Amino acid sequence: MFAYVVRRILATIPVMAVVALFVFSLLYIAPGDPAAVIAGDQATPEDVERIRASLGLDRPYLVRFGAWVWDIMRGDLGVSIFTNLPVSTMIQQRIEPTLSLMVVTLLLAVSVAVPLGVLAAWKVGTWVDNAVMSFAVLAFSVPVFVVGYLLAYIFALELDWLPVQGYTAFSQGFWPWLENLILPAIALGSVYIALIARITRATMLEVLQQDYIRTARAKGAGQRSILFLHALKNAAVPIVTVIGIGIALLIGGAVVTESVFAIPGLGRLTVDAILRRDYPVIQGVVLLFSFVYVLVNLAIDLLYTLFDPRIRY
Amino acid sequence: MASASVLNPADVSPGSVKVAEPTRDIMPPVKVRKGLWGFMWRNPTIAVGGTILLLMVIMAVFAPLFWTVDPTALAPARRTREPSLEHWFGTDMLGRDVYSRVVYGARVSLIVGFAVALFSSIIGLTIGLVSGFVRWADGIIMRIMDGLMSIPSILLAIALMALTRGSVGNVILAITVAEVPRVSRLVRGVVLSLREQPYVDAAVAAGTRTPVIIWRHILPNTIAPMTVQATYVCASAMIVESILSFIGAGTPPIIPSWGNIMAEGRALWQVKPYIVFFPAVFLSITVLAVNMLGDGLRDALDPRMAKRI
Amino acid sequence: MALLEVENLQTHFRGADGVNRAVDGVSFEVNSGETVAIVGESGCGKSVTAMSILRLIPEPPGKIAGSIRFNGKDLLKLSDREMRDIRGNEISMIFQEPMTSLNPVLTVGRQIGETLRLHQGMNKQQAEARAVEMLKLVGIPEPERRVKEYPHQLSGGMRQRVMIAIALACNPKLLIADEPTTALDVTIQAQILDLMRDLKRTVGAAIVIITHDLGVVAEVAERVIVMYAGRKVEEAEVGRLFRNPRHPYTQGLLGSMPKLGSSLTGEETRLQEIPGLVPSLKKKLDGCVFASRCAYATDLCLKVAPGLEEKAEGHIAACHYALKESVAA
Repeated sequence: MFAYVVRRILATIPVMAVVALFVFSLLYIAPGDPAAVIAGDQATPEDVERIRASLGLDRPYLVRFGAWVWDIMRGDLGVSIFTNLPVSTMIQQRIEPTLSLMVVTLLLAVSVAVPLGVLAAWKVGTWVDNAVMSFAVLAFSVPVFVVGYLLAYIFALELDWLPVQGYTAFSQGFWPWLENLILPAIALGSVYIALIARITRATMLEVLQQDYIRTARAKGAGQRSILFLHALKNAAVPIVTVIGIGIALLIGGAVVTESVFAIPGLGRLTVDAILRRDYPVIQGVVLLFSFVYVLVNLAIDLLYTLFDPRIRY
Repeated sequence: MASASVLNPADVSPGSVKVAEPTRDIMPPVKVRKGLWGFMWRNPTIAVGGTILLLMVIMAVFAPLFWTVDPTALAPARRTREPSLEHWFGTDMLGRDVYSRVVYGARVSLIVGFAVALFSSIIGLTIGLVSGFVRWADGIIMRIMDGLMSIPSILLAIALMALTRGSVGNVILAITVAEVPRVSRLVRGVVLSLREQPYVDAAVAAGTRTPVIIWRHILPNTIAPMTVQATYVCASAMIVESILSFIGAGTPPIIPSWGNIMAEGRALWQVKPYIVFFPAVFLSITVLAVNMLGDGLRDALDPRMAKRI
Repeated sequence: MALLEVENLQTHFRGADGVNRAVDGVSFEVNSGETVAIVGESGCGKSVTAMSILRLIPEPPGKIAGSIRFNGKDLLKLSDREMRDIRGNEISMIFQEPMTSLNPVLTVGRQIGETLRLHQGMNKQQAEARAVEMLKLVGIPEPERRVKEYPHQLSGGMRQRVMIAIALACNPKLLIADEPTTALDVTIQAQILDLMRDLKRTVGAAIVIITHDLGVVAEVAERVIVMYAGRKVEEAEVGRLFRNPRHPYTQGLLGSMPKLGSSLTGEETRLQEIPGLVPSLKKKLDGCVFASRCAYATDLCLKVAPGLEEKAEGHIAACHYALKESVAA
């Protein structure tokens, strides 16, 4: 078990190395002089020269990459071109809203999607199943910002139940914090819910065909016990895997959702950085998100043993 | 033990025969529909999705025939008009006709969707085949793909777009890069599972050359999952295009796309929601059609795959 | 009154290309404490018959009609709730696939205990203690340790013993065993059959055993029902059926069974086979269901379906030409 955990953690190193190399190379993939790209359109030749020196463009590529990685390991993500603040500081300032949004969305999505998927599998072929599946396809088909605007229009502008935009820090109290996150979480969660509900239904359908489900029925077990004890526990591994993979959707969607609901998080930071071509910030954010994504999926891999006694490392 | 002597046909006269009671029908008979109509009946999602998509393509190709005006014609005097008989979907803040922009906008969205689906299929197929057949390359390729896949795809596309100027070509490129790893993994998975099959083993053992094996055994079995995947990629690409445009990293505002019409309507969404509403409806219906087509194809092409997702 | 009275049972399934009449008009009875075997080739409807008794057929696409009276109650008229109280309690079932019939993510003890908690209102501790007793009863060594293990830690024979333990936990009046030994090694098969015979003596349950293996039938059954293409074609006491099969299909089945040591005794060693395949169950046939494969079939057989007829005392068969006792004697 311990050996497996170590091996599994070591296996993420090459993945992270590829991510880092890609993020580092972003600047050099772009056509033209990277120093000029960073300096932007309004830069003077002196600015460009200064940036060129700071990038160390005279050194070999891999040496520069090594130095960059070394800096990151020490927590130095570089300095924003626009604000001249360290990128790590900017990320720290923005992390709470994004983290809050993601956690609320994750909890909402899982607690809605799994029962929906189970329901659809149980009532397969009926109108209930069709309704759940139609919702899922629809959710896949509407861009997250459209869902956001629609929700804001109905529940904030027309009905005035919830705030239209903004974010309140958790330290200001639980309800003010949650109130601002409900609509964004539904908007952001819609695709995620669809994804989890679909995999839950599909896995449950497969599990419900199994001989041991027939055994449970033959024993006189009730419908709820069959669905939630006998079947769902067997379906857990694929469902949890997709919950992990789907976090990529949450990360991508957060960038957009934060813009719609004016939440000052990492997503807004990214969008602003793109519009200002603030490369160190873009690199920092992409790196951070990818790192989190890899770690979450690593953790999920290691949790499989909880769901299935047959998995032994 | 068993002897035929107990059977004696000669002793039986038809009059003394005991006739079995006929059994009842306990459920109505199944109507089996044949031909194209039957196919449509069994796969309604393909029929509906395909029809909508076809209509959208016709609208995009023959945009000038759909009672449109110049979608880029500015008319400052007629800014932000509500929908009316003259301007079906109203006008935007520069006085341009939103209906015409939406109809022409179908072109960009559909081109992006189809092009990304096509390119990522071709590139993904190539990488997947190499990875599945060339053992030493497999490790390296898959590490790279794992790395790319651990960057959330929208973020990857955004990062790439941040480097370049907004153009339809660059949008296609950026989304394709983000989609290729998934397609490659799919193809590699199919190749590896097919290589385990006895008939492919037999072909290898018989000394069949690799290109022949690929052509005869691998490609035909890859087409079905690839087609399904391509429709999903197409749907996803249209969504990502709109998101890129929405955050200002997409197609240039000069060429109307559903994404950038919405991006421009964004500032006014609380007072003039229709500017965002109409392109959103068109985009969603089109993506929905492609997704329905994908689901339908998946169910029709591979009933076993239908059970997964 | 018999313990179980199945009358004109029909179980049909709706498919994309037609209605599959898996069981079409089967009637039989099982008395308390009796062991009845249902035999036939795969696809003849014997498993579906068994599943129909416990109403384990998914509806839709399936549908069950007729009547299944257990202790006088028609099971087909019970609510789902009432049916659940019967399953695993008064009627229980053992399945063919011991490898896959146990839930892989629950401990053996929990799976045995579930029945007890459902039907006998036991709490967790009581159920666990009784599960250990049940494991001991079905001859599993170290029951205290095994009760905490998962199915993948047990061999196939042990898993089938666990299945039997689950089935017998509530002292059922009727045990339905669907090919209980087919998936097991020959030596394990014998052990399981012995176990079932012993337990029958101690528990006193009636057994319906579904099998295609006539060896198993000879070993355990008192009465035999032969099914073909969703219908019952012959029924008799086991000795009578083996000595004097009336239906050509039964004769074929017996003839296709290898006899141990036949080559040594110089008997004819070539096994007989039944030519052809079971007809499609999607079409309604006019004549005898077996006519297409029967060596004796005549025009009459193709046109008129034979009804079940008592050919000798307690021996019924559905064949126009099977002789009656009086004629044969």
